[in-house]
Amino acid sequence: MSGVLILLFGHVSMAQGKYTLNGYVKDAENGEELIGVTVYIKELKTGTATNVYGFYALSLPAGDYNIIYSSIGYQSIEKTVSLSGNVSMNVELPVEVTTIDEVVITDKPIDANVTDVKMSRNEISIQQVKKLPALFGEPDIIKTIQMMPGVITAGEGTSSFFVRGGSADQNLILIDEAPVYDPSHLFGLFSVFNADVIKDSELYKGGIPARFGGRLSSILDVRTKDGNNKRLGGSAGIGLLASRFMLEGPIKKEKSSFIISGRRSYVDLFLKAAGKENLVHFYDVNAKANWKHNNNNRFFVALYLGRDVFSFDDAFGFDWGNATATFRWNHLFNDRLFSNTSIIASNFDYALEFDDPVQGFKWTSNLQELSIKEDLNYFITPKNELDFGYHLTYRRFSPGEISPTTEASIFEPLKIQNDYALDHALYVNNEQQLSNKLTLSYGARLSIFQNIGKSEVYVYEDPRENININKIDTLYFDNFETIKTYINIEPRFAARYMLNPVSSIKLSYNRMVQNTHLISSGTVPIPFNTWSPSNYYLKPQLADQVAVGYFRNFKDNTFEFSVESYYKDIDNVTDFADNAEIFFNEDLATEYRQGDSWSYGLELMLQKKEGRLTGFASYTWSKTQRKVPGVNLDKPFLANYDRRHVLNLAATYDMNEKWSFGANFTYSTGRPITVPAGRYEYNDVYQVDLISERNGYLLPDFHRMDLSATLTPRKNKERKWKTNWVFSLYNVYSRKNAFTIYTRLKQDEDGNVIGDGKEKEARLISLFPLLPSVTYNIQF
Amino acid sequence: MKGIIYILTGLVVLGLLACEETVTLDTKQIDPQIVIEGLVTDETKSHYVRVTRSVGFYDFGRARGVADAVVTVSDNEGNVFNYVHNPGDMPESDGYYYAETPFAGEVGNTYTLTVIVGGETYTGSDVLQPVTAIDSLSVRIDEDEFEDPEDVGYYHEVLFYAKEPKDRKDYYLFKFYRNDSIILDQENDIYFANDEVLGENIDGIPIAGFYKNGDVARVEMYSITRQGYVYYNDLFNILNNDGGMFSPPPANPRTNLSNDALGFFQVSAMVSKSIVIE
Repeated sequence: MSGVLILLFGHVSMAQGKYTLNGYVKDAENGEELIGVTVYIKELKTGTATNVYGFYALSLPAGDYNIIYSSIGYQSIEKTVSLSGNVSMNVELPVEVTTIDEVVITDKPIDANVTDVKMSRNEISIQQVKKLPALFGEPDIIKTIQMMPGVITAGEGTSSFFVRGGSADQNLILIDEAPVYDPSHLFGLFSVFNADVIKDSELYKGGIPARFGGRLSSILDVRTKDGNNKRLGGSAGIGLLASRFMLEGPIKKEKSSFIISGRRSYVDLFLKAAGKENLVHFYDVNAKANWKHNNNNRFFVALYLGRDVFSFDDAFGFDWGNATATFRWNHLFNDRLFSNTSIIASNFDYALEFDDPVQGFKWTSNLQELSIKEDLNYFITPKNELDFGYHLTYRRFSPGEISPTTEASIFEPLKIQNDYALDHALYVNNEQQLSNKLTLSYGARLSIFQNIGKSEVYVYEDPRENININKIDTLYFDNFETIKTYINIEPRFAARYMLNPVSSIKLSYNRMVQNTHLISSGTVPIPFNTWSPSNYYLKPQLADQVAVGYFRNFKDNTFEFSVESYYKDIDNVTDFADNAEIFFNEDLATEYRQGDSWSYGLELMLQKKEGRLTGFASYTWSKTQRKVPGVNLDKPFLANYDRRHVLNLAATYDMNEKWSFGANFTYSTGRPITVPAGRYEYNDVYQVDLISERNGYLLPDFHRMDLSATLTPRKNKERKWKTNWVFSLYNVYSRKNAFTIYTRLKQDEDGNVIGDGKEKEARLISLFPLLPSVTYNIQF
Repeated sequence: MKGIIYILTGLVVLGLLACEETVTLDTKQIDPQIVIEGLVTDETKSHYVRVTRSVGFYDFGRARGVADAVVTVSDNEGNVFNYVHNPGDMPESDGYYYAETPFAGEVGNTYTLTVIVGGETYTGSDVLQPVTAIDSLSVRIDEDEFEDPEDVGYYHEVLFYAKEPKDRKDYYLFKFYRNDSIILDQENDIYFANDEVLGENIDGIPIAGFYKNGDVARVEMYSITRQGYVYYNDLFNILNNDGGMFSPPPANPRTNLSNDALGFFQVSAMVSKSIVIE
């Protein structure tokens, strides 16, 4: 467009002294810091974006500038600044008032889809999630994430997701930087994320920045609201399955604020089998407080607590839950050096209890993590932004303990020994604008992982022999004594080349290392799974991924389009022997089988983020295979969650101030499962399936449509609160989508064995038929 | 106890929310495979070995016996026991082989089964482990079943008592009989245990089934090896598999038989006790 001008300015700037312009960008209504706001300097046709703490900094030559601050969903603001010294400028963006007329987008200078060096990344707008139809009317970001290109789900009603050929445990799920080890409520029906408190969530699938590490396939970075620091407010919602309540407000106006929210289900009422003796529920509590001491020092404390509780006839019960705590200190060392220091704790635990005088026992397992992170952003010049930092994490894994609950119990106490690990990570990354067309991001992460004592390590004659196990030695390690150290360098690279102002090509490579392994052999993890560090036997999993993409915006950035292709290769992917005993096994090491996994795919995404009609269409073609010694006779097999074609459509339409509508459609080819290739008889009693090939059969195709409507009654001027009704229809045409297939003796509808008593049949399980739901929300 | 995890998860997720229908699997079926089951106990009797072939998943009927196998069992003391096919020539014993002369297994001995079919040889070995005595059985009325019995009159349950020796690793298989017919609470139940988490006193665990007045309940307790425990655990897992959603992908049980034969050769000491319900 005006390449000459850009060059000219480029030269002029060299001659003069440089000053820093920095500050925070906030929401004008509630004072929330805004992430990813574009800060664009008109004169230089360049700019930056606010970081995850809402902070930006630019180093500029002296002069007069017009700066445009813009973000989706907000009105753009233009400020004029005369730079003859360092300037700190905090900006507040008013929320965009839309709906009646199509918004005319003017002055939207740059667009991250095309210009950002990051690729393979999706932002999930919580506003959109709330308008889209939801299962049981409970908005859930994980369900929207499952619709993103490159993301596969194993089936509806699960909170697991599979990114670019990676298994569910290869996703690092963070809430306010703290890892959540099991993101599910009710075995995955809902996720642990309460939509009321989420401010921003991003999914990284490739070209993962060096500040993230520890899992192979994706980072889901969920950040919660800080709380309105201008006025007291809140919201409440009553749904079919759960109710929510949220309160936020200033502690000291503009200085400090808090937010607290809770969610509690009453699923008990809706489960067919739940009588009054049975109790099934979950709850979540999110609490956060922040204090802005001055522009240079800000403090945050965030807590999350969630739990599922099941109890049957007072005799049998189980529960699981996550608890996380984050303390954060944002500090400006100088105008251009931003520091974030975090102390993070996370706990996951579960328990099962059987209450019986003779067979009573309690089974518990837990996992704790404590980390300290120092992350620094150094805005060297507008053309170089350096990120570097150090993370230290200590983990304690307690895989299982059984204790009798009565004097007369037949059980004896038993404990599988704890595992401990220390994890250091040092990283550095520079984002460098080489020219107006080419931007590079390059860096590396050094991971030093130690499995430490106290521990006893068994030495096996043959570590792969899991039947007649022969221990030939035991190695003793004292507290903090190193059992095994694994050092890995993870290079990260990304490049963006602008083809013209509305389109670009991007390229990325990343290596990721994973040293915490989920001990699960099913397709979908269950809350009773445990985790293990890399250890004497278990090696770190390594993933190398390359991705290329073409990014193009249409109609003044109204439509964002991208096509990406990737290849991912995983070494030492953790798998388990056929018939592995993964629970309560002190010889678990004999069940590990690590092998290779490779995956490739093509992903298309078309997105419209502004206007009355918004939404996205995504399509993914992918293939994921594994080859694991000792599994499937050493032959390659399709991953459990492999799906060839996946198409997702989501749209919301704001008709007028009163009504808005949402729709989802999802289609995917079936995932592979293992089905019998014959039958045989044992003991004259058992009819046993004969298995010949792992994952050799495809479940039927999956497709489903959901609709929703949001009614916002006209606001009564006298009232201080707003209300709305959300009506949802899940699975509109009530398709029986395959969840899984199992086999049994041929039976009639009452469960009586029929036929000759030997004959078997295959049963297809599907979960949800047409499900209507309604949710009532109040905002005040 | 560990298998309970998958069943539990399946129960909650699938049992409470799901609907089901029978579907026809259009799957590749493999050629019939040899299936062998054999049991040698410390009782003096003509122990059996059964040789059959697998059938297609959708085939009807009882497993078809293999009548032309050569079956022998030998022990580590050099004794060889020849087995003959269906000596009574009864149609229901097709595929069953019995020891020509009755013999009793001895604790500590290793027994090796050899089956030759169509030029292929299949072998398997197992060791006879000691078994603990059953101290007693007792009867009590189950209140829930008494109030609302599934079958009229069947509301007695039978309790089992034993002392589990803690100085060695033991594995057990149980069979429960009501009036001489085997009884299972669920059609895919197998009753087996290891003593890893068991204390010394097993005081009154209920056995499978409910009983009416006049019934005879019988418990058979077999010692099994670690290999046997692994086999029955795997067998239980495949019989109760949910298709690999929450449970591991279904896999053929690990066996002590060679040459890819299915089934298991079990060697056990056995004790039994009966009680009349009154």
